[in-house]
Amino acid sequence: MDVLSGLMQGFAVALQPVNLLWCFLGVILGTVVGIMPGLAPSGTIAMLLPLTFAMNPAAAMIMLAGIYYGAKYGGSTTAILLNVPGESASVVTCLDGHQMARNGRAGPALGIAAIASFIAGTVGVLGLMLVAPPLARMALAFSSPEYFALMSLGLAMVVLLAGRSLVKALLAMLVGLWLSGIGTDLFSTTSRFVFGQLELLSGIDFVVVAIGVFAIGEVLACMEVRGQGQLLPVPRGLRNLLPTRRDLKDSRFAFANGSVIGFLIGVLPGAGSTIASFISYGVEKAVSRRREEFGRGVVEGVAAPEAANNSETGGALVPLLTLGIPGSTTTAILLAALVLWGFKPGPLFISDNPALFWGLVASMYIGNVMLLVLNLPLVPLFAQVLRAPGYVLYPLVFGVSMVGVYSVSGSLFDLGLLAAFGLLGYLMRKLDYPAAPLILGLVLGGGMERALRQSLMMSDGSLSILATRPISAVMLSLALLILLIPLFNKVNSWRLRALEQNGGVP
Amino acid sequence: MKRVGTPDFWSGLALAGLGAYIITEAAQWEYLGQDGPGPGFFPLWYGIAMAALSLGLVVSSVFRQPGSDERIDWGKASRALAAWVALALSVAALKLLGFLVAFAALIFFLVAVMYREPLRVAATMALASAAAFYVLFALALGVPLPAGVLGF
Amino acid sequence: MKQPVKKVLFATVFAVVGLGLCAPSVLAQGYKPTRPVELVVHTGPGGGSDVLARAIAAMMEKENLLPVRLQVLNKPGGGGAVAAAYMAEKKGDQNTIGLFTGVWLTNPLTSDKAKVTLKDLTPVARLVLEPALIAVKADAPYKSLGDFIAAAKQKPGELKQSGGSITSRDNVVRQLLQQETGARWTFISFPGGGERIAALLGGHVNLMVIEPAEAGEHIRGGNMRVLAQVSDTRLPGFPNVPTLKEAGFDVPVVPQVRGVVAPPDIPRQNVAYWEDVFGKLTKTQSWRKFLADNQFEDGYQNAAQLSKFYEEFTNKMRDILKDAGIKTVG
Repeated sequence: MDVLSGLMQGFAVALQPVNLLWCFLGVILGTVVGIMPGLAPSGTIAMLLPLTFAMNPAAAMIMLAGIYYGAKYGGSTTAILLNVPGESASVVTCLDGHQMARNGRAGPALGIAAIASFIAGTVGVLGLMLVAPPLARMALAFSSPEYFALMSLGLAMVVLLAGRSLVKALLAMLVGLWLSGIGTDLFSTTSRFVFGQLELLSGIDFVVVAIGVFAIGEVLACMEVRGQGQLLPVPRGLRNLLPTRRDLKDSRFAFANGSVIGFLIGVLPGAGSTIASFISYGVEKAVSRRREEFGRGVVEGVAAPEAANNSETGGALVPLLTLGIPGSTTTAILLAALVLWGFKPGPLFISDNPALFWGLVASMYIGNVMLLVLNLPLVPLFAQVLRAPGYVLYPLVFGVSMVGVYSVSGSLFDLGLLAAFGLLGYLMRKLDYPAAPLILGLVLGGGMERALRQSLMMSDGSLSILATRPISAVMLSLALLILLIPLFNKVNSWRLRALEQNGGVP
Repeated sequence: MKRVGTPDFWSGLALAGLGAYIITEAAQWEYLGQDGPGPGFFPLWYGIAMAALSLGLVVSSVFRQPGSDERIDWGKASRALAAWVALALSVAALKLLGFLVAFAALIFFLVAVMYREPLRVAATMALASAAAFYVLFALALGVPLPAGVLGF
Repeated sequence: MKQPVKKVLFATVFAVVGLGLCAPSVLAQGYKPTRPVELVVHTGPGGGSDVLARAIAAMMEKENLLPVRLQVLNKPGGGGAVAAAYMAEKKGDQNTIGLFTGVWLTNPLTSDKAKVTLKDLTPVARLVLEPALIAVKADAPYKSLGDFIAAAKQKPGELKQSGGSITSRDNVVRQLLQQETGARWTFISFPGGGERIAALLGGHVNLMVIEPAEAGEHIRGGNMRVLAQVSDTRLPGFPNVPTLKEAGFDVPVVPQVRGVVAPPDIPRQNVAYWEDVFGKLTKTQSWRKFLADNQFEDGYQNAAQLSKFYEEFTNKMRDILKDAGIKTVG
């Protein structure tokens, strides 16, 4: 079907008042879900499924999709204001976003996040619309060796996230790898590092670690000094509460990088938005002129991951709608929803149901616009949250964290883990161990191990499979190059020091 | 040797201990199975890496000049740790007291003791927070809050 | 102060006797839930059991089969062990039931942390059987299961199958076929259904065991070919595909089951009530449509039959797992 005529048909569907209403409801609900740490879009969508039986499937799909990508807008809010990742992919936004808030630039951070999300969300929809079927076929060429290479590339990013001490960053990453291995081994049913606890058999939930280390750790660190009244500066005046032209200019590349990387990674079933955010952040840091300032509140450090995690939603819908293959928990529920409504997701889905597909695509454009219009004016309002005195704000962060974690699994054990990781987060701050590598190791460790073992099973034990397949070979070489950067820097600094000693004569 | 007691020294030692533990556990599992690496493969390697790097950290911390910012300010740290103990106790009490009571108690402690606000401010904060959480989560969003022996 | 005490005593005795007289009539009415009932599932929101549970809850409301709401409670973890342990803790609780799947039955066989078996809980009813299909990529050279087995015999260990964990039904089918035919091929675990299908369609593995609902569209789109069905009788959606027996492989059909359990020490009449409610559910139009849409088989069994099924199933599984070289406990 011709793209333009399809899109016309789609807008005809999406612009119907009732569908606009459902779109609006969906994106608002998604934003709220994104803001609340622990509440995941997958859970909300699942809970709303019974209600959707009575609805027109197009309207229902529009609403559920609105929740899905709307949540990515909301996730950055608590990440920036409170260092609480509202959503797993927002962890990376915490790094520079919260630092910007500490520097009195919460408003611009929130604004850039919204703008980046809008641009990337739109790019994601464009991608879905234009390149979905051929890209999905290409994605099938991606299998375990390529996933292993991708995750190695992600882990190599630790070098770029290192800050002052590479050794400590690597150690944090290794602890993250260890945490990811806790639980039952998929291939052999051996249980590893469970300390006899039943609840650890499925491993430790990422949300518990992220909220514990970031949010609780942060609050504990703030408890050190008994602040009087307002702790974080909130500038006055609208001009200081929104991103400046300079900010937008600085983020140009981040918008592009995040949108493209997020979309491509989203297309791969199994690679999630967290990986997309990390890689996009790493790439941005690598090419930025002010890479030493990353981690201290640089606007492109917010723009890149926010863009990545939004365009990832567009990407994740590609395998779902073109092949009927769900790439993540949330898309799996959307798949179940489609089946429950009587559809048959698969290679013929788009051609069988053009009105639904194009209506969905058109509604995603509209939804992104709605979200931008909703979020930008709210930025000054949200920034005022930081006006609250410390004794109001921080205890509330405790509460929100606890409820957020409990809402995921209903387990008091997880709350105990939350407290434990909170202490870990605080200790890491005091002892100067960076938290981002820990999260990186935790997110990628399990997948990387699985991918390696699957690859070796595919190749009957030969490691050469990683080098003979072109895509994995390229990514592994990139990873190796990145790992060599510190060595290169060290050699370079020796060279510069030698030059200095010789009086600057080369 | 003053330098032995630096934070890097102890944290490095602790991580070396963790690394050693991981290695001993990993040694019990299958390293290379018939179909590929077994459950012991990855842990063994990252355990070794952890032990090696952390021992390196320990050694370098002994020989490096300690910076002035490396000493831990125990005054500040004890405040933070006290807050953590309050949180841990609150979590432990959840099973018995339920979220609303345990959380209100935690808030009361934090506001009154950590922030030294007057008792009535602390009490108001505690009650208001508990009420707000109840209304927002349990009623409006339908998210269950841990219930204690008293049923709420 | 003797007068008031005597009055209180008299009132108490009167109340007790009065209640005692009423009691039989209360009991005789049988059990009916008065508060919302929790339906425990072992997956998180969106997982297979969760979706089924929510569909059941919706159908119950639609068909007015229950006077109260069914509320889904997610207790994920431990491959079902956490949910099972939670149910065991709720001894005597009349407002909790759970949705079990085959994992609840096999988990205690392989994991010593999963101590709660179906025998420790109260079986209520078995609801569905999920058949499966054995599929290959459409351009594969195997036109029948026999072709694949022959190829596997020629190149032992070279062909590959994608599936779930090694205790999943996918691997059990493989083990049974390997034992029966002497062929050998590798099993590669992928945690998600999407990844397994992607592995097959991408040509990275040769074979997979897939559920009809997942496969349907890929077959219609011409990407997959089905070699055989893991079922006793041919499914209505696949009239031209031979069952394992018809294809010449005399292996037992190990079903994937889902059903309802209750906590231990539940009164007999509660069980009867739930059997009845679920029995009624399986006869409704919505249920039939649900089964047809998802290509499940109606496998309704009442509590007594379920108990017997459970015994047979676990004994069979134990033998299969032992033969497969998987360590069994319990």
